[in-house]
Amino acid sequence: MKCFLTKTRKTIIRTFFSSSFNRDIVILMTVSIAIGSSLANVVAMSANTYFSSTISTLVGDYGEFDLLVNVREEMKEDGRVQIEKVIEQVFPGAKLKEGPTLNGLTSFLVGLPGQNKTKQTYETIESIFGSVPGLSGISIMTEPRVTVKAVPDGAKSTVIEQIMHIDGVLFAFRDGASVTVIIQSLEKSSYVNAEIEKLLGQYHIIDIAFPVGSEPENPMRLGEQIADAIRDEKAAGYAESVSVDSKSNDMVYMVSTMLELKRFLMAYATKVNITPAAGVTFRTGDIITFQGTGSNAPVPGGSLDAANVLVKVTKAEGDRSAEGMVIQGDGTQVANNQAYAVMNTVIGDPVGTAIFQNPRKQLGDALNQTANFVREIPKIAQDAQKMTGVANNALNSYSGSITAVEQTLGSLASAGTTIQTATSGLANLDTSAIQLQLTNSSRAMSGLVSTLQIIRLVNPDVSSSINELTATQQNLTNLQDTLGAIDNVAANARQARSAIDNIVVNGNSMVANLRTFDVNGARQTLTETGSSIAQLQQFNTPLVAAQLQYLGAAVPNLKDEEMNRSINLMDQFITGQALPSQRIQILTKSSITTEFAGPIINRVVGHNNLSLYTSVVGIIEPDPRAQVMMILTQVKAILAGMISLIVVILFLTLDHTAIMTVIRRKRTVNKTPKEKRWKRLLLGIKNTFTAPECLYGMGVGALILTAMFILSGGGIPYLPWIGVPFLGAVIGLLVANNSEKISPISVDEVTAGEALGLSFDEVMREIVIPNGRPGLLQTLNRRKMKFK
Amino acid sequence: MLVIQNLYKQFGSLVAVNGFNLSVRTGETVVLMGPSGCGKSTTIRTINRLVEPDCGSIMLNGSNILTMEPDELREVRKRIGFVFQHFNLIGRLSTLENVMLGLVMSGMKRETAESKATESLTKVGLENHLHHKPDQLSGGQQQRVGIARALAYEPELMLWDEPTASLDPILVREVLVVMEDLARYRASTMIVVTHELPFALRVADRIVLMDQGNIVEEGKPSQVFINPVSDIGRKYKELIEYQMNTSAQSLSGKA
Repeated sequence: MKCFLTKTRKTIIRTFFSSSFNRDIVILMTVSIAIGSSLANVVAMSANTYFSSTISTLVGDYGEFDLLVNVREEMKEDGRVQIEKVIEQVFPGAKLKEGPTLNGLTSFLVGLPGQNKTKQTYETIESIFGSVPGLSGISIMTEPRVTVKAVPDGAKSTVIEQIMHIDGVLFAFRDGASVTVIIQSLEKSSYVNAEIEKLLGQYHIIDIAFPVGSEPENPMRLGEQIADAIRDEKAAGYAESVSVDSKSNDMVYMVSTMLELKRFLMAYATKVNITPAAGVTFRTGDIITFQGTGSNAPVPGGSLDAANVLVKVTKAEGDRSAEGMVIQGDGTQVANNQAYAVMNTVIGDPVGTAIFQNPRKQLGDALNQTANFVREIPKIAQDAQKMTGVANNALNSYSGSITAVEQTLGSLASAGTTIQTATSGLANLDTSAIQLQLTNSSRAMSGLVSTLQIIRLVNPDVSSSINELTATQQNLTNLQDTLGAIDNVAANARQARSAIDNIVVNGNSMVANLRTFDVNGARQTLTETGSSIAQLQQFNTPLVAAQLQYLGAAVPNLKDEEMNRSINLMDQFITGQALPSQRIQILTKSSITTEFAGPIINRVVGHNNLSLYTSVVGIIEPDPRAQVMMILTQVKAILAGMISLIVVILFLTLDHTAIMTVIRRKRTVNKTPKEKRWKRLLLGIKNTFTAPECLYGMGVGALILTAMFILSGGGIPYLPWIGVPFLGAVIGLLVANNSEKISPISVDEVTAGEALGLSFDEVMREIVIPNGRPGLLQTLNRRKMKFK
Repeated sequence: MLVIQNLYKQFGSLVAVNGFNLSVRTGETVVLMGPSGCGKSTTIRTINRLVEPDCGSIMLNGSNILTMEPDELREVRKRIGFVFQHFNLIGRLSTLENVMLGLVMSGMKRETAESKATESLTKVGLENHLHHKPDQLSGGQQQRVGIARALAYEPELMLWDEPTASLDPILVREVLVVMEDLARYRASTMIVVTHELPFALRVADRIVLMDQGNIVEEGKPSQVFINPVSDIGRKYKELIEYQMNTSAQSLSGKA
């Protein structure tokens, strides 16, 4: 074997390297590889260095900064000022640097002093920087660190406690949905990573999910019971319920909000009350159409139009009427209330009529009217104040009038005894003044009653006063009539006497009634009403009117069609949510499978209408900086690969095409195909891949490309290593098949050289290469040329 | 000196040389003539294996050129001078360097080579153009460089492949003068492919007429052109007569 290898080696050296030109080719390829890989390396490393330093400039060097505070761009100046204040107060000596702005967020890098890098600081970092205006989030950047994500809330404490026992861990803390572990030093980073992986691998979470309708009443308690039951099993060892109280779960809030929104929209949408035509019965889900904004009414047999208003029946009543909801168009656009059936976008026969109640419009109208009314309140209050004054004046003259009437009755009584003797005196009795007083009083009372009726709108307490005044007014009217009769008593003295007697009796009775009117009370009421009106005048009615208008404008301006779609979307969202309260999580050892725990759980729950699956306790999140560096390494490899590819193509084209052309010429000049056409074709195809120049090209291409890739660390995405020599061979093959076009040789000169007895090497060195493409081969050849 | 036997060469379906047999004595000048495409250039190029024949033998002083190893063949080629139709000079080299090329490559010292090259160029009358590049020379001068290059080795055998075909009549004369000189006064063994009838008549020891790869007639010029037995020979005879009559009429002023 050894002898064979030695023999083979000598044969190869003799045959291949005996020719000095072959040695030149080897030197050429070596130099090509060296230059190409160096160039690829330089370019790739320069790019890598540039990007690395750019990243360091953006996010600082390793371990330089501890926090990344994101602030909305439009508030970055205010944010910066506040951050500086916080740093000054809480972290004196901290470093601050503004980072890049991306997607509307400006990042600020904060480097904490050593003494502030404590667990408490990190756990309260959100509240420390909570006052920063425009704050969008804070990320921990302290290095070295490990972030464990996807840790269930309930398991975080246990995980943190376990991690803290790992040698090399400074501390661990809750960081949003993750657990972040700060490591003592970079040297311990790998060890800590490995230990955390091991730790996470030891445990898993058994999730117990309940379908709708089978949810436990108290999932927290049930979880504990399940954990106890599992622990009681001898083989289990460790089990802990880590379920969380769903009351604090954001999803519940979201679902609740969606439900309320849906309820609001449904209350706000147009209500359609449909009265069927004779013989028509509606079912839930039926679609009917109305003329909308189109100029023509729907025609039976015609196609639906986008201008039609479509209504879907949502409820069919027992009396064949129905309720519906607008699903296309808007209730306000309905031109007439004739309803037509719809079957598969074809309009059917008329099926009834409908009334559209538009709460939106009604609300808008009500708000507008209320606003208008509110604007009138100041004027009404002012008028009411005036009327109160008038009523007060009327009350003031009321007492005087009663007294005057009493006096008059007294006079009448004394006049009665002397009526016969003083009949003539009767004619001197002047009741006009009294009548005038009564008229004024009655009028004043009328005015007072009117005023009080208006005041009753805002102060119902005055109703009793109004009733009293009305009765009083009636009495005054009666009295006026009586006095009128006195004027006629002279003609009939005797009747007058009895009349006078009657008058006196009635008058006394009437006065007694009039006296019962609580003038002070009425005055008091008027005073109180006056002060109420004064308070009313203090109301900021412009503000109220403006707010009513604002409310009217703020009410959602959605068409019925849009509301219907929104309601459907909300339904989909709500239906798709499983409320967390339906899930119990048990933290246990990884060796406890669902098969083992299943029967225990079913026993504790009392049924098996549940789903069990396992999930990891946490996943170590890759270090972002390491990830970026890894990406940069890949970029570097790709750059190196690309440069190598380009260099290989260049070298093949400039240096090796001349050689390939000569090889090709040697092959073709003396050997011409004698075959038939199809055989010639086959031969041509075969030669494309197996001709000596093609083999040369493929070999050289594969060799130098592979060597450059290895030396420069090049790589092409998705291309395995075996693909590199293949790619080089393909390039070499392509170049070889086009070598004559790329690097034509002067056949005459070559022939002349051969005729002079020049060897192949000499022909190449003196004739072919000097006349070929400028390149490395030509440069290296110069030292061998005898005629430079 | 040179014995060619059963030489055969086919290009695709075209038989260029079909059983060619020829013997050339030392000092003899053999002129190959025939219509274009009859295989003259192919025949002459196979002699030093610039074209590889399919079969046959070419014995040069008892050695079969067709069976030689590459090294041996190169040595033989140095003993055979070849002059090409299109000169085939190396464009980047000067006149002197073109002639020196073969000498230096064969191991000769540069100074010696330069001396021989200069001598060779002087023989062809180009002593004043030693450092000119080929594109600075006329066609005739270039061909003379080609001749000087071929002669620099002092070859035993000179092969001429239509050396005047690319030249105008005046330049043709330049070259033919050199060729005649070589043929007459230096007793070189030459095989010349040419259409130059006057040259052939004056210089050739033997005319070989070819047609479609075969020798159709062979013999002294007086024999071939005066009493031809082949069609080609007859055509040449007619051509000679025509040229002579035309020349006479032109000289006598009659059209």
